[in-house]
Amino acid sequence: MADQYISIRNLKFLLFEHFNLTDINRLENFKDYDQESFEMALAAAKEIGDQHLFPHYQIMDKEKAYFKDGEVITHEKLIEGINAIAEGGWIGAAFPYDDGGQQMPLGLLTACQFIFHSANANISCYPFLTQGAANLIRTFGSDDLKNSYLEKMMSGEWQGTMALTEPQAGSSLSDLTSSATPTDQGHYLIEGQKIYISGGDYKDVDNVVHLLLARIKGAPAGTKGISLFVVPKHRNVNGEYISNDVTTAGIYGKMGQKGYVAAHLMLGEKEDCHGYLVGEPNNGLRYMFQMMNEARIATGLVAAGNTSAAYYAALQYANERPQGRKPGQKGTTDPVLIIEHADVRRMLLYQKAVMEGSIALLLYCSNLGDLEMYGEGAEKARAHQLFELLTPIAKSYPSEAGTHAVSYAMQCLGGAGYTDDFPVEQYYRDIRINSIYEGTTTIHGLDLLGRKVMMHGGTAFKFLIEEIQVTAKKAADHPALASNTSDLIAVAKSLHEVTIHLGKLASTESPEVFLSDATLYLDYFSLLVISWQLLGQAITASAALKNDSSETDQAFYESKLITADYFFEYELPKSRALHKRLISENRITLNLKNHHLQ
Amino acid sequence: MKLLVCISKTPDTTAKIAFTNGDTEFNEEGVQFIMNPYDEWYALVRALELKEAAGGSVTIINVGTSANDAVIRKGLAIGADDAVRIDADPKSSYFVAKQIAAYAADKEFDVVLTGKETIDFNGSEVGGMIAEALDMPFISYATHLEMDGNVAKITRDIEGGAEVAEVSTPFTLSASKGLAEQRIPNMKGIMMSKRKPLNVVAPVEISDPSKVVGYTLPDAKESVKLVDPENMTELVRLLHEEAKVI
Repeated sequence: MADQYISIRNLKFLLFEHFNLTDINRLENFKDYDQESFEMALAAAKEIGDQHLFPHYQIMDKEKAYFKDGEVITHEKLIEGINAIAEGGWIGAAFPYDDGGQQMPLGLLTACQFIFHSANANISCYPFLTQGAANLIRTFGSDDLKNSYLEKMMSGEWQGTMALTEPQAGSSLSDLTSSATPTDQGHYLIEGQKIYISGGDYKDVDNVVHLLLARIKGAPAGTKGISLFVVPKHRNVNGEYISNDVTTAGIYGKMGQKGYVAAHLMLGEKEDCHGYLVGEPNNGLRYMFQMMNEARIATGLVAAGNTSAAYYAALQYANERPQGRKPGQKGTTDPVLIIEHADVRRMLLYQKAVMEGSIALLLYCSNLGDLEMYGEGAEKARAHQLFELLTPIAKSYPSEAGTHAVSYAMQCLGGAGYTDDFPVEQYYRDIRINSIYEGTTTIHGLDLLGRKVMMHGGTAFKFLIEEIQVTAKKAADHPALASNTSDLIAVAKSLHEVTIHLGKLASTESPEVFLSDATLYLDYFSLLVISWQLLGQAITASAALKNDSSETDQAFYESKLITADYFFEYELPKSRALHKRLISENRITLNLKNHHLQ
Repeated sequence: MKLLVCISKTPDTTAKIAFTNGDTEFNEEGVQFIMNPYDEWYALVRALELKEAAGGSVTIINVGTSANDAVIRKGLAIGADDAVRIDADPKSSYFVAKQIAAYAADKEFDVVLTGKETIDFNGSEVGGMIAEALDMPFISYATHLEMDGNVAKITRDIEGGAEVAEVSTPFTLSASKGLAEQRIPNMKGIMMSKRKPLNVVAPVEISDPSKVVGYTLPDAKESVKLVDPENMTELVRLLHEEAKVI
């Protein structure tokens, strides 16, 4: 097991020196949060990570969850970890005081969740899934639903889920067929199946509360006929909890995240599954988007956490393992540590850049979430649009590039990395799902190009370019960053040109042509956004280096400059190839016939 | 029940230790500090448990500068009702004990709790000196404590076993592992901690009979030597000539 899974120094740099997120206390909702509160919250989260999460990461994989005699058995350490997070008040920490929360800024909550997910996402995903489900009830549910469910969910006694996917309806939710039949007692009778339901059932929790999408009998076809229901595993009848006819058919054998169950649920086999409508009929998908958008940021965060933990495992190994000699050195000399080899350094820098770029973007987005929710006027509107625009990047880049980064972590360990003597092979298996969860990368490419950059007449994209220009202006005080800054501006300009070019294709050719390479557009966009995030950190570090600082701090700030430089030299140039492809008129994927793929 | 818990600030266990001012002072630059675990995990939490069972109050006390306030706030976040910081540089165990005793002398605390030692100096001195100064019984290395009215039954570690002692309040004890289970502060406690009183009081005049004249670090560990398992002669030679253990 590695010794380290996260850099608290980096988190504090981002929170306090770079983004100055404590400034959020200028908003009334966050007035109680000063730097001391931030520091104490981070320290408490790190203690939970160190004691209740990280030590159990590997054992939860080796002794994976299983299904036996109708019950889902999870590792005994799972409930201990969930309890530690719940007792810490982390489930719903961002909710208002009146709803039992602590009005915590999302920026701070994201930083703390990053600690939990880096330590062991096989545990931490459960309580934060519950948080998302509870937030749906809190936002859209009746007082009766709030009184019945929120307290037990926020205390961790009851698990919450999002129950969307069905055997015939995955990415295409408009095809879902689970039904809800109204009764004269106010509840609905639910029938159907749900698959891949994370946290969907396990023996050690008292109840599972599914936030479930179903179609009320007679509702319109497509997404406009979908409603949202609370469907508990056990329902309350005169103070006694009885079975609610929600049966677990089994759990899925997965490549990774073997401690985090994904269940197959059968609903209403005995025609006795009660569902309780949330909000208005046929508005379910709109409500569920709140949880889905939260889950998209959470998915990026889990991936960034995985990348962080794998990076520190690889870094430790590279600093301990002597192997080979540098080119030009004689075989009779002592072997060098593998961190001395240029290509190992390249791979470590890639991991570091992906992790530091990803977590910076996620914190930036979380702060936008705070401003969107509690800011005012133009600031609020701008934050809303930027948050919407950047969500596909914040979800997809940490997932896709993170998978590549963890592959590099394994490569740094050589053959040892492929064995379960070290945790990296598990990180590699665990991170892979994040490109699929909560909308595949393809879906997010379509969302970004087809909707987000075009929405509101392209103002969100314009806001982003303005933010990039602000960063470039700050960089002017740091001559060493001039070359990278001009590269960033050039890529922003090129991306803008490509966006206009693709937008025209929607009308001059077809929507299918317009969106055919949307995933590549997402890659291009991501390279720009992550470069921007890393350049911003380099500016902060460069300014800090002008002041007196300890040797340790100097090394830290220098590492920020090097990481940004690496990304601009090795990664950003890949945008040129993407640019070439995106303006090409060769429609390879559209023109081929199915029989050409054989 | 009125309880006083003495807390210290110690370097994090991963801190790099260095000295300054002619090796007479610990160099705090760049060092991450934490609350001494024996004070936090065992003394403070057991005090909170006693209060939760029988009512009363838990006050935490620290001798130090404002740099210690973050550590003190953590104690409040875990659940202490209020805090006192005696605004002085904690020069020695004697100085700290005398300051705490001077503060506590007229406050009628039923139990004064300390950790069994700090994890930096490992002196195990402060608790005994406080008890002496307050003319209280002192039970050290407590691993179990039950109260029945004003009588405490305390199990304490001794060489090779355990000893059970009975003592009436007021008394002082030092806490060992096992006395309680660590509590990590929750968010509600963290946010409440800022509203709890942290009273800063001036130190009393103390004439310290001793002073530190120098610190030294232990010798650096030597690198590992790998010996071929077939070459026992070489292993014996190294153990005899270099390690000098046989």
